[in-house]
Amino acid sequence: MSDIKIKSKNLNVYYGNKQALFDVNLDLNEKEVTALIGPSGCGKSTFIRCINRMNDVIDICKVTGNIEIDGIEINSKELDVVSLRERVGMVFQKPNPFPKSIYDNISYGPKIHGKGESKNELDEIVENSLRKAALWEEVKDRLNEPGTGLSGGQQQRLCIARAISVNPEVILMDEPCSALDPIATAKIEELIDELKKTYTIVIVTHSMAQAVRVSQKTGFFHLGKLIEVGKTEKIFKNPDNKMTQDYITGRFG
Amino acid sequence: MWLKELLKNIEKNMTKEKRLKKRHNAEKRFRFYGLASIFLALLFVLILVQNIFSKGSSAFMKTAINVDVFYDPELLGVKNGATKDEILEADFFDITIETLLKTYPTNNLDEENQLIDLFTTDAELEIKNALINNSNLLGKTVSLEITSSDDIDQLHKGNYPRDLPEERRRISNFQLSIYDNFLENKKIIKNFNNYFFKNGDSRDPEIAGIGGALVGSFYSILICLLLSFPIAVLASIYLEEFAPKNKITDFIEININNLAAVPSIVYGLLALQILLATIQLPRSTPLVAGITLALMTLPRIIIPCRASLKAVPPSIREGALAVGASKFQSVFHHVVPLALPGTLSGTIIGLAQALGETAPLILIGMVAFVVDIPSTPIDPSSSLPVQVYLWSESAERGFVEKTSATIMMLLSFLIVMNFLAVYLRQKFEKRWN
Repeated sequence: MSDIKIKSKNLNVYYGNKQALFDVNLDLNEKEVTALIGPSGCGKSTFIRCINRMNDVIDICKVTGNIEIDGIEINSKELDVVSLRERVGMVFQKPNPFPKSIYDNISYGPKIHGKGESKNELDEIVENSLRKAALWEEVKDRLNEPGTGLSGGQQQRLCIARAISVNPEVILMDEPCSALDPIATAKIEELIDELKKTYTIVIVTHSMAQAVRVSQKTGFFHLGKLIEVGKTEKIFKNPDNKMTQDYITGRFG
Repeated sequence: MWLKELLKNIEKNMTKEKRLKKRHNAEKRFRFYGLASIFLALLFVLILVQNIFSKGSSAFMKTAINVDVFYDPELLGVKNGATKDEILEADFFDITIETLLKTYPTNNLDEENQLIDLFTTDAELEIKNALINNSNLLGKTVSLEITSSDDIDQLHKGNYPRDLPEERRRISNFQLSIYDNFLENKKIIKNFNNYFFKNGDSRDPEIAGIGGALVGSFYSILICLLLSFPIAVLASIYLEEFAPKNKITDFIEININNLAAVPSIVYGLLALQILLATIQLPRSTPLVAGITLALMTLPRIIIPCRASLKAVPPSIREGALAVGASKFQSVFHHVVPLALPGTLSGTIIGLAQALGETAPLILIGMVAFVVDIPSTPIDPSSSLPVQVYLWSESAERGFVEKTSATIMMLLSFLIVMNFLAVYLRQKFEKRWN
């Protein structure tokens, strides 16, 4: 039904001598939510950090294998990592707004990419991003207040708005709700449902229920290996692998 | 073995109440030790401050003697209505002697000399300056406050015992009787000691001041700041954010810490050999002092700078990188502004240390006796801590209070700088979750 947006082939990741991912082959569909589940330390976060090359920051990290976005290899030296991250946004586990105003938090990305030449254009980008992140109504009167003054859930939506502001194609979410209460979580999940119409979304989560609620496709990782991947319904109702079965029924993890 | 068993048995036999009591007592003891050590530290500070204040506060006042001066044009060798230039040219020696001798009747040359010795050696200059400031005084008699000599100053301030036998006193019986006479006629007054702030060093305590040392210290610290701040900040940003983490970086880091612990006199020796002997920069100057202090201060600024960069959470860097900022942008748009308050306060504290540094400055010749106030950083000069060192070695009684007063000035600069550091950190430090 949908096209493949991101394709990983024989992806291996090493942290020094320790191998974190083993030959991961995973295809992610366009305008769909893919959930990655698995016990802590299984390599889910490592995997999504490969998609926007966030692992470059870590000196001892080495990546082999291929990841293609729209058929273009992103691990090649010729590819500019800055333009890659413009296309692949990321939301982190802990909300990390800049200690600046709400407005500056959103306008930072467009500014450094030369989008929004005039103040009006920037205003428009800020408003649209906040609207898409379902935060506009709550903060429209206090755009100049610090982003760090918002509640946890609002901060996370601010970070989503920040990711949207540069108009990416893919949004990576690394356990975006693990630091939030159930109500804030529900709001973010609603938002993800809305965002998947425009963006390809990859979400790492520890909550099986969340994976079921938001995703169309689910991948199960264990000890750095992709054990099973398939339609979310199938994975949770009728997994092929015994280990997947054990994990989703809570027998380990 | 048996000891262990014994202890085990004792512990077993202790009731719960006893154990609880033991724990409470341990806590109480610890509190007491803490309070006692804080109290002790405060006590020492108090003794130090009290000592300096009691010795130094009198230096801010000086003793002067009211004297009637008749600006006799004939004695000066100028005409009535002379211009300022003519007055500047005039010789004030005769009029000074004339004026001072009129203050008390004398019988012979020895007594005359003793009388003149009651006044400062700069009396001639004071009489001259009064006329230069107001040339209308020519041909008139005015009452001037002439600064007294150091001995009279100390006697009047009560720092000099007058009940010693005459041969062990610097002030003769005749001089004492003049002093008493002046005192009776209310001719002796105390006023604010502007010389202390305005003048350079002098052999005569009553006209010696820290003006030269203040300017010298200012220039030195300015040069130190201009050199060390940019280098230290850039070095710490590179080391903390850009440098690859390998053995070379580790080696550099260890050596920065080592350099911060090197005794300052070693930097003085280094400057002596390289700056003075090899490059031949002018000795005793704030320029050399500033460079030397900058060398010494560099590692001491780099360490707090790196600490404040390290304190910026990695999530801020990741957030910036994730929206497509380059490494450079993430550092200079986000990390550096957040680390700036810590960086600034680290710099100020480093400079405060440099301001109080004495040993390296002595080695580069700042200990020289310099009377003139430096007008540029390449003029010979003194500095505040070196001035303290110089005066503390002087024999004259007047330098005792001046030494303490200089320490007071130095300490107040340090306190102001440290408060500024704390203020900057608290005012501009941003909080993140």
